[in-house]
Amino acid sequence: MNDSKSEIEKQIAHRNRKNKRFKGVIIAATIISTLPLLFILFYIFRQGISAINWQFLTHLPKPVGEAGGGVSNALVGSILILLVSCIIAIPVGIVIGIYLSEETKSRLAYYCRLAVDVLQGIPSIVIGIIIYEWIVRPMGGFSAFSGSVALALIMLPSIIKSTEETLKLLPESLKEASLALGVPYYKTMLKIIVPTGLSGILTGVILSISRVIGETAPLLFTAFGSPFMTTDIFKPMSSLSLIIFNYATSPYEDWHQLAWGASMLLILMILILNIISKIVQSKWKVQF
Amino acid sequence: MALLKWNQKLTPLDNEIQQLKLEVISMWEMVVSQLQKAQEALKDMDRDLAREVILTEKRVNAFELKIDRDCEDILALFAPVAIDLRFILAVLKINMNLERTGDIAEGIGKFVVDIPADFDVRLLEITRVVEMYQQANEMVVDVMNAFEEEDTVLARKVFKKDDLLDEINKNAAAVVANFIKDNPSKIESALYILSTIRKLERVGDQAKNMAEELIFYSEAKVLKHKPKNKKNEE
Amino acid sequence: MESAILKVRNFSAFFGKSHILKNINLDIDKNNVWAIMGPSGCGKTTFIRCINRMHELTPNATTSGSMQLNGEEIYEMNPVMLRRKVGMVFQRPNPFPTMSIYDNVIAGYILNGIKLNKQQKDEIVETSLRRAALWMEVRNTLHKKGTFLSGGQQQRLCIARALSMNPEMLLLDEATSALDPVSTAKIEELIHELKAQYTILMVTHNMQQAARVSNKTAFFYLGELVEADNTKTIFTNPKHEKTQDYIRGHFG
Repeated sequence: MNDSKSEIEKQIAHRNRKNKRFKGVIIAATIISTLPLLFILFYIFRQGISAINWQFLTHLPKPVGEAGGGVSNALVGSILILLVSCIIAIPVGIVIGIYLSEETKSRLAYYCRLAVDVLQGIPSIVIGIIIYEWIVRPMGGFSAFSGSVALALIMLPSIIKSTEETLKLLPESLKEASLALGVPYYKTMLKIIVPTGLSGILTGVILSISRVIGETAPLLFTAFGSPFMTTDIFKPMSSLSLIIFNYATSPYEDWHQLAWGASMLLILMILILNIISKIVQSKWKVQF
Repeated sequence: MALLKWNQKLTPLDNEIQQLKLEVISMWEMVVSQLQKAQEALKDMDRDLAREVILTEKRVNAFELKIDRDCEDILALFAPVAIDLRFILAVLKINMNLERTGDIAEGIGKFVVDIPADFDVRLLEITRVVEMYQQANEMVVDVMNAFEEEDTVLARKVFKKDDLLDEINKNAAAVVANFIKDNPSKIESALYILSTIRKLERVGDQAKNMAEELIFYSEAKVLKHKPKNKKNEE
Repeated sequence: MESAILKVRNFSAFFGKSHILKNINLDIDKNNVWAIMGPSGCGKTTFIRCINRMHELTPNATTSGSMQLNGEEIYEMNPVMLRRKVGMVFQRPNPFPTMSIYDNVIAGYILNGIKLNKQQKDEIVETSLRRAALWMEVRNTLHKKGTFLSGGQQQRLCIARALSMNPEMLLLDEATSALDPVSTAKIEELIHELKAQYTILMVTHNMQQAARVSNKTAFFYLGELVEADNTKTIFTNPKHEKTQDYIRGHFG
């Protein structure tokens, strides 16, 4: 009798040890995979912090050789291009997301989903080239607008997908309750369903923004970049990512500094966006 | 309608109801045996047999209490409906009828024990009390069988059989009066016999009531308080 | 003389080729509580969803035959107008999560763009919440979101929301199935009181509830209306053997 008892106790002890070891492995793996990220952030911070000052943020880049200069036009450019691409992508993405969440069986929905999946997989540089052919060429020149269109195409799949997933999670009874009150379908979607799923939709939007904020390749053939400060979207425009590309590959040391500064700015913007996304999720999350 | 169908799976309520039915039949058999024993005791003036009947009455009463309790439990726990509900309601009334019938058998037993030594057995013949007793017993047995088989046709036959009991009962008064005229010293015996005949009339009534309850639960037809001819028609 | 508020004649409903409701004929009189009963898949939910035309929202859903509400053909009416006359409460309480309790009650008006001044709104909110036996519990927290109430309270809020439109008929689709016994009892009491003003059809799986609350019962089986009668009759002496089998619990 005593033997079997201690047998069982031994087994339990052995399993507890295994549990601890397993947990240990998981924690170690997590730390190991997070470390590179922390190193990168730390490194960029260290390199870029010295470059950031008021002049950096408010001045235009100086010609080669001259000291000083800033990235003000690139900052404005990034924000403007992003804004226009949001204006294009968000309404279209949400509407398509609504459609896909409602229609699960129709042929159109099937092909639409297929198209979205394919779009998600297209390399951003290829999108840039396509927009070059379709918009830059016919327009006769580079423009921020074409850059926005390219970025919008990259944003679309994630906006569509997160909208679709969010709305699919909402209980069917919510829609039915509204319809049973005599509310027409379109109003039900716009006034009940979408507002209820708003936090999920917004999260998707913010995440897609933070994805494209640093895109460089598509902008190479579309917005192209410019040394001037401009707010005309039909003209070429600079952006932080383009500046990093140009300056980092140049032979000039002070331009390298600017590139680090611009990198840090970008990281900061992404960080802020992610924090906003988390706040939106927790504050606006709707309970059922 | 029947309580059970051949292809049906039994629910817990069905099982309880079948148990209850068996209990009622057991009590019924006991009461029938009481009546038959008392009948024997009366025919043979057997005081010992009569005492047996009186003692056994306790068991009949115990049965009544048990069946009442079981009905109460089923109602509380299962909230039966339709035919199940009607069955329980019928059983409650049949229970009461059986207990009264048991009382009557005991009463006849007591009469046999207390009978005066000079009892004139001619009275048994001229009043046809034994014949009446036989018919009354048959009625009770018929309704018991009808209850077991859920046979409402058999139950209805009981109303006709009651006619004989009525006939004997009606004539009894005249017959006994004549006897007393011719045998003035035997008044006590005559009164005893008359009382027994009245008791047997009530046994017939109890059997009819039980038949009505059976028809009620099986067909949801209420025959209570209907005039005799209508009962036979329904 | 009772008047029939709903007349159903030779009514059938289909999902594609599946014949869900077969030739239903029924008269529903005013101010009655009808229990709609039957085993799973018998068509009882489909039946009430046909009355307010929610059935046709499912793809491939079709109907045939006639349903008249106060003499008007339901299938020729504007569905939006119909649903203001026939209110529905669902199995899972579903107050709108983005709206306050106050707004939830008058959601039908808000969402349909019907303009009301503050006084009218206040009146409708209070009346509806009183009728739904919820006023005393929420009158000081009307601005809070509807989803912070308990299950039973949420369901009463949904009832208030349906009542605020002043419907003639109320359809309850297993409205207490998801609630605890105390909330269920409160709502049953409520239905009893509402009977005086409205006609109520309730689908329920709970036979005891049907027996307690309704005064008329309709029994559906495999898409057919087997029996429709006073509740007392159905539970003491139903006319059809299938009905009796069902209420005695003999359906596998």
